[in-house]
Amino acid sequence: MATAAEQWVLVEMVQALYEAPAYHLILEGILILWIIRLLFSKTYKLQERSDLTVKEKEELIEEWQPEPLVPPISKDHPALNYNIVSGPPSHSIVVNGKECINFASFNFLGLLDNPRVKAAALASLKKYGVGTCGPRGFYGTFDVHLDLEDRLAKFMKTEEAIIYSYGFATIASAIPAYSKRGDIVFVDRAACFAIQKGLQASRSNIKLFEHNDMADLERLLKEQEIEDQKNPRKARVTRRFIVVEGLYMNTGTICPLPELVQLKYKYKARIFLEESLSFGVLGEHGRGVTEHFGINIDDIDLISANMENALASIGGFCCGRSFVIDHQRLSGQGYCFSASLPPLLAAAAIEALNIMEENPGITFEPRKSDCRLH
Amino acid sequence: MANSGGGAVCNGKIYSHKKWDGSQNGNCTKNGIVKEVQQNGKPHFYEKPVVESFEEAPLHVMVFTYMGYGIGTLFGYLRDFLRNSGIEKCNAAVEREEQKDFVPLYQNFENFYTRNIYMRIRDNWNRPICSAPGALFDVMERVSDDYNWTFRFTGRIIKDVINMGSYNFLGLAVRYDESMRTVKDVLEEYGVGVASTRHEMGTLNKHKELEDLVAQFLNVEAAMVFGMGFATNSMNIPALVGKGCLILSDELNHASLVLGARLSGATIRIFKHNNMQSLEKLLRDAVIYGQPRTRRAWKKILIMVEGVYSMEGSIVNLPQIVALKKKYKAYLYIDEAHSIGSVGPTGRGVVEFFGMDPQDVDVFMGTFTKSFGAAGGYIAGRKDLVDYLRVHSHSAVYATSMSPPIAEQIIRSMKFIMGLDGTTEGLKRVQQLAKNTRYFRQRLNEMGFIIYGNEESPVVPLLLYMPGKVAAFARHLLNRKIGVVVVGFPATPLAEARARFCISAAHTREMLDTVLEALDEMGDLLHLKYSRNKKSARPELYDETSFELDD
Repeated sequence: MATAAEQWVLVEMVQALYEAPAYHLILEGILILWIIRLLFSKTYKLQERSDLTVKEKEELIEEWQPEPLVPPISKDHPALNYNIVSGPPSHSIVVNGKECINFASFNFLGLLDNPRVKAAALASLKKYGVGTCGPRGFYGTFDVHLDLEDRLAKFMKTEEAIIYSYGFATIASAIPAYSKRGDIVFVDRAACFAIQKGLQASRSNIKLFEHNDMADLERLLKEQEIEDQKNPRKARVTRRFIVVEGLYMNTGTICPLPELVQLKYKYKARIFLEESLSFGVLGEHGRGVTEHFGINIDDIDLISANMENALASIGGFCCGRSFVIDHQRLSGQGYCFSASLPPLLAAAAIEALNIMEENPGITFEPRKSDCRLH
Repeated sequence: MANSGGGAVCNGKIYSHKKWDGSQNGNCTKNGIVKEVQQNGKPHFYEKPVVESFEEAPLHVMVFTYMGYGIGTLFGYLRDFLRNSGIEKCNAAVEREEQKDFVPLYQNFENFYTRNIYMRIRDNWNRPICSAPGALFDVMERVSDDYNWTFRFTGRIIKDVINMGSYNFLGLAVRYDESMRTVKDVLEEYGVGVASTRHEMGTLNKHKELEDLVAQFLNVEAAMVFGMGFATNSMNIPALVGKGCLILSDELNHASLVLGARLSGATIRIFKHNNMQSLEKLLRDAVIYGQPRTRRAWKKILIMVEGVYSMEGSIVNLPQIVALKKKYKAYLYIDEAHSIGSVGPTGRGVVEFFGMDPQDVDVFMGTFTKSFGAAGGYIAGRKDLVDYLRVHSHSAVYATSMSPPIAEQIIRSMKFIMGLDGTTEGLKRVQQLAKNTRYFRQRLNEMGFIIYGNEESPVVPLLLYMPGKVAAFARHLLNRKIGVVVVGFPATPLAEARARFCISAAHTREMLDTVLEALDEMGDLLHLKYSRNKKSARPELYDETSFELDD
C-alpha cells in the first residue's frame, strides 16, 4: 500500500513538474545550484583572530620597536641657523647684527613702526593688560573686539565681520565651518597653505583648476553640472564653493574676479575670497580686489584676510553678510575654542585702519615702487 | 600600579577600587578613586592620596533634564512651523534674493538646536567686558528686545563683577602697573606686528630669549614658541605623526588636539577618559595585531592626553600612563594648557605635581593664555624634537611668529613665577591658588553640590543638568555681580550642562566667601544640591586658630 501511495505521489509530482510555470522551475534550479555551491565552498571567518598564546603576545610586545619620534636632522639645515632679527622689523632691519633694507617682511603700508599705532597699542595695554584669558564665548569679548569688527565691516562695506586671533587660523577655520563632507570645492592650484589645511579639515571633495585659468574652471564646473543631472537629488544638497585668493602668495598674480563672479551665477557656486595680501594694497581705498575691479561686495560670499600684512598687527578677520558670517560664531573652530585676540593688537589694528582711511594715498605707495622695480 | 587596599573611610567619603575588568556600565555609581603615586622605586613626592570624583545624579534629575529638552524640541518644531508658514516673523538673517536658487548654505536640521534652544538662553555667553580680566572686572550691560535675536547696549557698565570665569589662574592678567614696564619698552621699541614667518625674517631675539626661558622653566632641553595655542596643536601634530602611525587620544581631548590628529592622517583610536584599562587594552591590541588588515607594525604610537581637562576638572593619571608608555614603547604627548602654572608646588605642571621626571614625557605642549596672561603656545622636549619642529612645523614655515610685547609679557611672568625677578611673590601666588582651590572645593562639597574632578584642580565644574537652570543660574549670579561661565551641549554631553569656575590666586578669601554665599542661596533657590554623599553635621574647621562656642 505504501509503495503505491508513494508512486502515486511521485506521478503527481512529475505531472506538477510539467505543469509548473517556467520561471518557477528556473528559480528552483538556481536555488539548488546555489546550495550545492555553498556546501562545497571554503568557509572563511569574518575576523582573522589567530589565537595567540599569552607567551607569544608578550614576545610580540617585547620585540616591537617603533621608529624614533623624530628623524634626525642634519646640523646645518638652513632653518636651524635662524636669522635673528634684533630690533623692530621695519623698513631697515638689523639681521644677525648687520643693518639691511627690508625686502622680506610683509610690511606693505609701512605701519609696523608707525608711532600712532604704537601709541594706540600702549593705551590699550594700560587699560586692559596683555591677555584676554578666555575664548570669545566666556568673557573674552572686549569692547575693543566689537569695535574692531564694526570698523572692519564699515570699511569693507559689508554687514558683519568676525575676528580671529591668528592669521593662519582664519581661513583654515572658515572653510570647514561651511563646507562639509560631500560638498565640492573648486580651488586654484596655487592656493596658499592655510587654504589647503582648511580644505583638508573640511573633508570635502576638492577639484583643482589651473592657476588663474578660467577656461579650466569652467570645464570643471560643466563636468560637475553633467554629474548633477545624473543625480538631481544629491545635487540639491551638495554645496559648491570656489576658493580663490585676491593676490596669490605663491605666484604674486591677481585673480580674475569679474569672470569668477559670472561663473558663480552661471553655475551656482559660492565664492570665498582670501585677501591676505591684497587687503590694504589693491583698490582705491585699499578695500582689496573687489574695489580694484569695481565689483559689488555682496557678490562675494565671504572675504577672509589676515591683519598681519597691511594692518601691521596680528590676527585675521572674515567679512560678508550676516547670514554667512554669523554661522562662524558657533562653528568656527579657531574662534570658539581659542582665546581671543589680545586687546592691544586689536587697538593697533583699529589705529592702522584709521590711518588707512585718513590717507587713501598710502595704498598707492607700494604699487609705485613696484612699477619702478619692474 | 598598586592601589591602597580595602574600602577605607575618611571624612565620610568612601574610597573604593574601580572595577578591573575594564567594562564600565552606565548603571554603576562611580565613587572616589584612590590613586597612589607610583614612582618605580623613587621616593614619593606626594604622600597624600589623590581624590577624583564624578558623582552621578539621582534618576529624577536625569528624567527632568531629558523632559526639558524634549519640551524644548517640541516647541522648537512648533515655532519652526510658524516661522516657515509666515505666521510668525522670522528674525534670523536670510539668503540674498539673487542667490535664492543656490543650494542652501545650511541644512535646516543642523541649526535646529541653535535656533530653538540655544537662542533662548544666548545672553549668557559672549558677554562683553571693558576692563582687564582680573579678579574683578566690568561687564557691559546689554538687553534684548526680541528674545535674544539681537542685543543692544544700554551704555551702563556693571562695575566690579567678581570674575569666576576667566582663565586667570595666577592673577597675572591685570591692567598696567609698573612691573609691566618692560612690556611697554618692548612695545615702543619693536612695535606690535611682525609680518613675517619664523623661517623668514620673523625670528626676533625676543623669541630666542623666550624659548630659552621656557626650556629652563620646564626643566627640558629646548622649546619652541608659536603665536596661537590652538594652532600649536593643529600644526605640529601633523609634523610629528603621519600615515601609518597610531594616535591614542583621550575621549575628552580638546578640539585642537582632535583637529591636529585628523589633519595628520594617522589612525586615531579613543580610550575612555582617564581609564588606564581601556588604554592598556588599546596599546596591547595595537602592538600585537598591528595595522588593521595589512598587519604591518605601526610606525609609532602616540598617546595624547591633557594635563587638566577643562570641562571635567580631572587631572591626568600621569604615573600610570608613563608606566604603560614605557612598557609598550609608545610616545607621550601632553597638552598642559590648563595645568602649566597652576598645578604643582612651584607651578611647573602635572609632571611636578606627581613628582615625576620630565624626561619621561616626550612632548610637552602648553599655552601661555591661561596662567601667564598673554597669548600663544609652546612645544618643549628634547633638543632633537625641537630642532625637527623648527624645520618641519607648518607654523614655522607659513604662519606669523609671536608679537614682541606678548613675548615680553610671557618672559616677565615666567621670571616672576620662577622667582628670577628676586622676589618670592610668584611662589606665593602658586600656593595661594592651591589654597583657594582646596577651600572652594571643600566648601562646595559640603554644601551638597555635585562637583566633578580632582580635588587639586583649579577648574571646578558644578553640575546643573537642566537647560532652564543653566540660564537662571547665570542670570541670577550676574545680578549679584558675580560672573560665571555656564556650558551646555555641544561642549558637554547633552544631559550634563554645568557651570565652570576657574579659581584664581587673585581671589581673596572675602571674594570666595561672597561667591560661596551666593552659590548657597542659588542652590536652595534652584534646587541644585543633588549630591547624596553624607556630610557631617558639624561645620568643618579650616585654618582657624581659635574658635568660639556659640551660645
